[in-house]
Amino acid sequence: MNRVAIPLAVFGALLALPLIGLSSYTMHILVLVLMWTTIGMAWNLLGGYCGQVSFGHAAYFGVGAYTAGILYFKLQISAWWGIPLSVAVVSVFAFLLGYIVLKLRGPFFALATLASGEVLRITTENMGEFTNGTLGILIQQRTWIEKTWYYYIILAIAALTFVVIRKLVASKWGYYFVAIREDQDAAESLGIDTTRYKTIALVISAILTGICGAFYTNYMGYIDPHIVFALHDISIITIMIVMVGGVATEWGALIGAGIMVLLAEWIRAIPGLGASHQAFFGILLIAIIIFLPNGIVGDLPKITRLFRRARA
Amino acid sequence: MRCPTLVLRAAFAVSICGASLLQGADPLNLSIPLPLTGGQAKFGEMMKRSYEMATDEINAKGGVKGRKVILAFEDSQAKADSARAIVEKLIDVKKQPIIIGEYTSACAKAVAAVANERKTPYLIVASADDAITQQNYKYVFRQNVPNAYYAQGLVSFFKDVVKPQSIAILFESSDFGTSGAADMEKHAQRMGMKVVLKEKYEKGAVDFKPILSKVKQAAPDVIFMVSYVMDASLLMKQLKELRVDAKLFAGGAAGFALPEFVDNAKDAAEYVVTATLWTPQVKYKGAKEYADKYKAKFGDFPSYHGASAYSAMYVVQDVLTRAKSLSQEDITAAMKKTDLQTAYGHIKFEDRDGYQNQCFSETFVLQVQKGEHQTVWPATYANQKYLFPIPKWRDRK
Repeated sequence: MNRVAIPLAVFGALLALPLIGLSSYTMHILVLVLMWTTIGMAWNLLGGYCGQVSFGHAAYFGVGAYTAGILYFKLQISAWWGIPLSVAVVSVFAFLLGYIVLKLRGPFFALATLASGEVLRITTENMGEFTNGTLGILIQQRTWIEKTWYYYIILAIAALTFVVIRKLVASKWGYYFVAIREDQDAAESLGIDTTRYKTIALVISAILTGICGAFYTNYMGYIDPHIVFALHDISIITIMIVMVGGVATEWGALIGAGIMVLLAEWIRAIPGLGASHQAFFGILLIAIIIFLPNGIVGDLPKITRLFRRARA
Repeated sequence: MRCPTLVLRAAFAVSICGASLLQGADPLNLSIPLPLTGGQAKFGEMMKRSYEMATDEINAKGGVKGRKVILAFEDSQAKADSARAIVEKLIDVKKQPIIIGEYTSACAKAVAAVANERKTPYLIVASADDAITQQNYKYVFRQNVPNAYYAQGLVSFFKDVVKPQSIAILFESSDFGTSGAADMEKHAQRMGMKVVLKEKYEKGAVDFKPILSKVKQAAPDVIFMVSYVMDASLLMKQLKELRVDAKLFAGGAAGFALPEFVDNAKDAAEYVVTATLWTPQVKYKGAKEYADKYKAKFGDFPSYHGASAYSAMYVVQDVLTRAKSLSQEDITAAMKKTDLQTAYGHIKFEDRDGYQNQCFSETFVLQVQKGEHQTVWPATYANQKYLFPIPKWRDRK
């Protein structure tokens, strides 16, 4: 019962949020939270359930973003078509990259994915004719000034991602993913085609990330290789969101994105903290990771126990 | 399991309260987005100090229409989405009728798009990319010349003094670097200079030797580099280590024009010339006072970034005083009519050569002489004679 009721309640609450008249600043932050939630959930499928820790999700985000950007820049077609088109483009990219990187395991896989993001960034920078290189792509007129539609679009994407991942994880494939995470050799000996299922997890994860990239192009109206293929600002933040929220949990990405975007923004704006806000935020993250190694959602029993003891 | 929504709501309430506390009644609150952390922090710091200096002076003379100006700064970390978040907040929550600041072109583009959509005037202080004022944005004004004009003074120095036959162009992979290099290439072709090498490098690299070896092989008359501060000094140090000689080493403003460039590159910086948009020796009214005051307070002369930020506050004072009301439309109308002498030069926003609301001003050439930036070109503004030809590396002490 709860498995349906809670998501519906959260979805309903999020659906109703814009109706209470939030400022466009708050809406901007909310849009970012939902976007990062989606990317976090997508990463979680590959990193959390399938156990393949990717340091290169910026690659898929960037390819999605540039699919939309190039449609506008080269063909003068609305960048919104980038969202459906990015599904095709990103899956091809993910399949090719996966073919190379999924042969590797553990830290080698992580490093290979990290490199794939960087390789794509440098390639994009140097394909000046096609991508406008480091000058980036600027969409002259965004579709709406109001944020409500952007909010509902990203909410729809996030909800869809949530459903897709829940269905996947509960299916036979989900069990294969977990089996691969727990012990790849054992999984193989049970007859699971590990390369195949790892590729499936990667491609789905990449597609969902790529859709967010295409959305980002439409939403921000400006992309350049340093922004969308950023190692720190995209790939690492994605991992942090899942780590802080809780690896292989349904709600981890939402909580993690809330902390990484909302809390970071709030701390940044504390007057008087000045340039030290990053150190402050860093310490907070370190504390979370030390005391709640399974993330906030993963260690929820631990937190509730702590509160109960404090009350007693 | 009701936790997710609860946490979210709580975080909200806190963020909303935090923001609304800052709305004051009588004094004029202005928040400025700047990079205060990360790779561009040096520029942000200089601009922050300069905004503050100007504001103190303005407040000492009675503020804007009798209202005291209170400045606040928000760190955008040179990230486009943070810059946008800040500006959305300023426009929407704090109801600030005018936006000033930002530094990198990528951030300025993000801010300009929002400002124009929300019909809020935005004064750009030191972001170079040509495209920003070519978008028919009605509400975006730029005080510094666009990138295509950065090297004009330098090019005339080439023409009249150096007379080079060939040039090598090195630039960092950013929109500033790419557009600066492209513009220099056009200048070179017009002058009949041969571009023997045009190479892009990763900003923040630690080793430029592979590229510099190529430069050495090409043996150009002039080596022209566009980069921010750390790369600029490292490039010169490694040019010295590799003994790459040229008739002239030239920088395209930004990193080369900062005092930190000389501090970091030490004697490798000697004789290097750079384009700049302002120098402490210009004869604009108030320029010398500003430069001396800055030096007395912080130990170094400021570069054009600081001067532009300093003067921007005076432009804001002038505009807000002339504006019929503090509505966005009235401020924009007043901004369009700006005609003001500042320490940064004559500020006037024009529509020409494909740019809108763009201020055009003269550009200069600095040369490092005995560890100090000196103005050497145009001759009418020079405080020191240029040193040319320059000695080869092995002939230096």
